[in-house]
Amino acid sequence: MAEERKDHLWKVAQEAEERIDDLMKTGASPMGLDVGTAKIVASRRKAKDIECAAQLNAFIPVPYSKFTETILGQNDIAYYREGGELVIYGTDTERFANMFNAEARRPMADGLLNPRETRAMPVLEAILTNLVPKPKVQGEILAFSVPAALPGREAALTYHEATLRGFFQGQGYKPVAINEGLSVIFSELEDNNFTGIGISCGGGMCNVTLAFLSIPSIMIGIGKGGDYIDSAVGAVVNEHATRVRIQKEEGIDLSRQPKDKFERAIRIYYEELVESLVDGLAKALSTAETLPRTDRPLPIVLSGGTAKPKGFKDLFEKALKGRALPIEVAEIRLAKDPLTATARGALIAAMYEK
Amino acid sequence: MEPFARSPAGAPGPRARGDEFVVALEAVSRGIRDPVAKLKYIRGSLDRYRSLDRAVRFIPGKALRRHVYRWLSLESLGPLLRADPFGGAPPVDPRTRRSRFVTRVSMVSTAAAGIAAVAFATWSLPRPTPVVKAAAPALALALPPVVETPVSLPVGITPAAVWLVEKGEGWEQYSNGLRIDTSHAVAGDPRRFQVFDEAGALDPEVHDQPVGILFHTSESDIWPLEASFNETLRDSSQRLLRYLQRNRTYHYLVDRFGRVFRVVNEESKANHAGYSVWAKPGRVYLSLNNAFLGVAFESRWEGGQALPITQAQLAAGRNVTEYLRQRYDIEADMCVAHGLASVNPKKHLIGHHMDWSRGFPWAAFGLPDQYKREAPSVALFGFGYDDDFLKVLGEPWQGVRDGEQRLASEAQRRGVAVDEVRQERQGLYDRSIRAQAAAEKSAVASVADQRPVNRPRTSASGG
Repeated sequence: MAEERKDHLWKVAQEAEERIDDLMKTGASPMGLDVGTAKIVASRRKAKDIECAAQLNAFIPVPYSKFTETILGQNDIAYYREGGELVIYGTDTERFANMFNAEARRPMADGLLNPRETRAMPVLEAILTNLVPKPKVQGEILAFSVPAALPGREAALTYHEATLRGFFQGQGYKPVAINEGLSVIFSELEDNNFTGIGISCGGGMCNVTLAFLSIPSIMIGIGKGGDYIDSAVGAVVNEHATRVRIQKEEGIDLSRQPKDKFERAIRIYYEELVESLVDGLAKALSTAETLPRTDRPLPIVLSGGTAKPKGFKDLFEKALKGRALPIEVAEIRLAKDPLTATARGALIAAMYEK
Repeated sequence: MEPFARSPAGAPGPRARGDEFVVALEAVSRGIRDPVAKLKYIRGSLDRYRSLDRAVRFIPGKALRRHVYRWLSLESLGPLLRADPFGGAPPVDPRTRRSRFVTRVSMVSTAAAGIAAVAFATWSLPRPTPVVKAAAPALALALPPVVETPVSLPVGITPAAVWLVEKGEGWEQYSNGLRIDTSHAVAGDPRRFQVFDEAGALDPEVHDQPVGILFHTSESDIWPLEASFNETLRDSSQRLLRYLQRNRTYHYLVDRFGRVFRVVNEESKANHAGYSVWAKPGRVYLSLNNAFLGVAFESRWEGGQALPITQAQLAAGRNVTEYLRQRYDIEADMCVAHGLASVNPKKHLIGHHMDWSRGFPWAAFGLPDQYKREAPSVALFGFGYDDDFLKVLGEPWQGVRDGEQRLASEAQRRGVAVDEVRQERQGLYDRSIRAQAAAEKSAVASVADQRPVNRPRTSASGG
């Protein structure tokens, strides 16, 4: 009886227990989405935990034949047919790109819809449809990440955000856009009352946000990310960028001396990316008009697939050392799960909006 | 709300909101363990800063201001101090809860000291000191206009005629001052119920007019009744209304500003009563969703009592009760609190829901004190209570004792143990509730049988 008398947010009459399920259905299904250049990660609350699912944001078209289509179908590979081609998309793309020794194509570039890719939106829609189920209730909240605008790309960001918003609305969601860096702050800096610097190092770009008590005061984008490293290294070692990425993700260790040409190239371009990132951060901090007056050191959290390799944090710390910043840095740490931090932060924003 | 996707150009940062406020906010936020609750708390507090600051900035002395900010920050935690609707633990850690209590006590002491100072100054000096003057806004915040000792009305008198004066789109105005907002009203399942006698015989006659009123508390967020919380108060009521409407929970909601909302049409049943028992001589009503109208006050049962309703709620609640009693000829004895009627059928315990199990202002509604009325669930059906019930209420209301007395008298008269009488009565309840369920099921089946199947279309003239 003690449990039955528990205070409820709103009273539920005993004869209508099913209404608790309704409340859970409508109340517990907001969704957080990290729409990244390289990966799309969805997160949703499941009981007391958060579950995440990811798909590669890439595709590869192969010529149509009845036989190929049967094979794809039998192996449960995501594809759709367009004219004389079968467009394989999502995580399976990598396997086929390797198999055909071809470059996987990207619906997005530099954090935004890829203007040079004619199939950008159909492929992105196919991946999102695969990853994001239709809402159980019309108007459910979905928070999706958007990058900070790169200089001169403000209009492209507006188009990107509006296009995604329209798609999610069409699916029946109520979409809310959230800055990538702020998402990282939401998921990682709860203990600091959402105060600090969140950095998301993605495939297309890096995003940096400084927030004080959850209110962002600096949001900047750096136009280099994992893709830049992949293509630069690929050009040097004469490999497809897709292959470089696979090798890189198999476990690069930036904390030890490079063993071969490939590792040397990786290290060089990682250092260059980190330098650009720290430069951008320092410049933004020193020129910011709305920098909060704070008397305590601020934490920095690094996240994203590009920040995942061992030794990345040390590279960042080294690059930051000796820079004169208008704020004091408390600690630099890697997100608990760098690949899902943005999506988890977006989920918090969605639940806040509910 | 501040944006998620863009920098708020030109908007003041949290620091622009004042160091004392930010320090208090940060300290309290650290005690919140859930990220969403923390985010809501922080952003809600930042939004409210401007109105709070208008009241607090006049307080002299940084230390006192800081103390008031801390108190206000802790008070804003109110909605986070309860378990979530699915039974999860409240997201505020125990230290912060303790701190809230201590700060509240300290503020009350400060206020009392302030009042004493005013009294002393008034007594000893021709005019008050500037310090006392400046403390006034804080005192005003500490004393919301809630009902302390409501005025009594004559008991048991059927209200004078109440009639519809006029109506418009979304409202109705009645002669006793009652104004009903009908813009949220929805239809539910039609009302139909049967009545038992005290021996458990079910009268075959099916009724569709309500015979009683059940008073509820909404068990929703209750924010401080202060101008600075106006937006939150309004939003909170609107969210509650949408929830009640979706679930067809009550017929009427009386919000904290005294507005009366019709939620479910009076002709329909509402899901307000759950398993419940009430009776008058010769007529016993079970599971009162159909037979009783549900009137909820936006309030919450906390610490063994309902939080005080506002003067506006009291007046509006009285008006809507008068209107319903007059319209449906409802007897005063049939107006009762949900907590007095609610039962747990499986365990045969009273007090399954406890709203208004204590403290309903019967006299102010012109109603007899129902706490003194013999509890039908105990007297007729042998229901009892457990330790958890006593933990919440301390002791049962007098009507429960009277019901137990009746069981004891019967046991003595028959020369059997009280428990034996209880078990017989509980068996009577079980049989009655099964009979009621069977009657409802067959009524539903007969309605379904009568439903026309592919009936040919008839012309408007009937020919």
